[in-house]
Amino acid sequence: MNNSLKSSVPTDREVILGILNNSADTLNKLYKGYYAMVLQFILNNNGDEDDAKDVYQEAIIILYNKVKEGNFELSSKLKTYIYSVCRRIWLKKLNLNSKKAGNITDYEDVFAVEEDVEQHEEKDAAFVKMQSALDHLGEPCKTIIQDFYIHNLSMQDICEKFGYTNTDNAKTQKYKCLQRLKKLFFQHQ
Amino acid sequence: MPAKVKEIIFSTPVIEMRNDLELDAIIEDYLLGKLNPQETEAFEQLRRNDATVDHKVVSHKFFLESMEAFAEQLRLREQLNHIHGEIDVESLADTLRPHPSKVVQLWRKHKSALAVAASFLVLSLVSVYSIQHNNKQEAIYEKMSREISRVKQSQNNLVLDVRANSMHNSPKKPNPGNFGGTGFAVSTNGYILTNLHVVNGADSLFVQNSKGESFKVKSVYTDPQNDIAILKISDKHFNGLSTIPYTIKKSLSSIGENVYTLGYPKDDIVLGEGSVSSRSGFVGDTTQYQVSILVNPGNSGGPLLDNNGNLVGIISGKQDQTEGAAFAIKSKYILEAMRAIPQDSLGVNRLSANKKSLLTGLKRTKQIEKLEDYVFMIKVY
Repeated sequence: MNNSLKSSVPTDREVILGILNNSADTLNKLYKGYYAMVLQFILNNNGDEDDAKDVYQEAIIILYNKVKEGNFELSSKLKTYIYSVCRRIWLKKLNLNSKKAGNITDYEDVFAVEEDVEQHEEKDAAFVKMQSALDHLGEPCKTIIQDFYIHNLSMQDICEKFGYTNTDNAKTQKYKCLQRLKKLFFQHQ
Repeated sequence: MPAKVKEIIFSTPVIEMRNDLELDAIIEDYLLGKLNPQETEAFEQLRRNDATVDHKVVSHKFFLESMEAFAEQLRLREQLNHIHGEIDVESLADTLRPHPSKVVQLWRKHKSALAVAASFLVLSLVSVYSIQHNNKQEAIYEKMSREISRVKQSQNNLVLDVRANSMHNSPKKPNPGNFGGTGFAVSTNGYILTNLHVVNGADSLFVQNSKGESFKVKSVYTDPQNDIAILKISDKHFNGLSTIPYTIKKSLSSIGENVYTLGYPKDDIVLGEGSVSSRSGFVGDTTQYQVSILVNPGNSGGPLLDNNGNLVGIISGKQDQTEGAAFAIKSKYILEAMRAIPQDSLGVNRLSANKKSLLTGLKRTKQIEKLEDYVFMIKVY
């Protein structure tokens, strides 16, 4: 397993081009390429598989967004970057839970990624707010909004899915939900 | 929809708008670029004229952007979760988690440190091997020197020729070759002091000075207990020496005192420097000092002097197994040996403990220049 995973790791350039071109295949290979490294790191530093998944996905998202924003400079190996980000995130989590973080066992080189992680955390705070606003919205508003804005369903689909007699009714419903959602969202601004 | 927009914008004032929902719908259509150019222009007109509408547009824009980023993130996460589902986390974790065996765990944690340690180990094995390899020669030497040292148990006597021993055992045998040591003048008329083990059992004895002149000598006094022999130059070409520059030190030397010796471990005179490292010699022998001077076979019988040119002792041997431990007979036994010789025969200008050394205050190089003439190579046949 380990070997087969490693053998399919794309080159750093391939990863960057792949992300810019929205290549699902590249994302797949990237994810599988470095997962074992992070899993080992977390497992050996007071974490479990779920922690590893969370931390690793955060790191991949940070990398993904950074590449998408176009300001990712490949100053080090991608592997080192991912490892450093994961390490930073995990250290923060350990400190937050006041778990023992005294001696982190390192498996790779590390370099400073504090800025990237902090930027991501700011963004993440906004997402948390959106999520909580959605959670407070209640059904069927939550699903209608999600279907329209996240899953990109058309009003026609939503109309059929929720059994509205015509799309105008569905639209009215949608805008009512949206109004409440905006209220919830901006309340916590 | 467009009809409704026109209705709101052109026929109905904002205040009379039927409800906000329709405005919201128009704002969203506007932001998503779903209005036609005409409607867009009309709406922008309204936006410019009505600050409330403008504010709503801005805040809805921000909301839509937040929502889009949120949606994108959710979609990415979904994608990642999908990929994650394809990985056999369970078995991967089993191979990577902290191993119950401490050894494996240590190996994983300290891979690099262990690699360094391993290379050190290899390096040290190589050096140990090479040291052992070098030791082979030394071992042979030690063995030979032990043969010699039957004269004085396991102490090495620093005689050049290892065959001295066989000669000692059977003194009747003609000495096949020359071996030697060092000696130094104790009087101007040709009395020379050296170690007994240097001259013991010799058929004939010669001394050679630093200029290369050889004189025949004969042994006039031996002290087996202190390993001292006194020789007398019995050569008619010998013209005598000028005043002996060094004197005998009466007091005991302190540990750490700088000392040096001159000797003939080879055909030319050689300086050896060091310090007194112990007031007792081989296995606690109180008649000797231990000195940290590198001495070689041939140094035996050489004078040991301090910085002021006082005679501290006579180099007599070194220990087999210990590096840098040489032994020197203490100077007071020189005096004792000299007393055993008829005082008249030593003449007036002899080595004494009462005069001031002529070497005091001189630089080491000047001291040696003066000393050279009084230190002899002993050649034994």
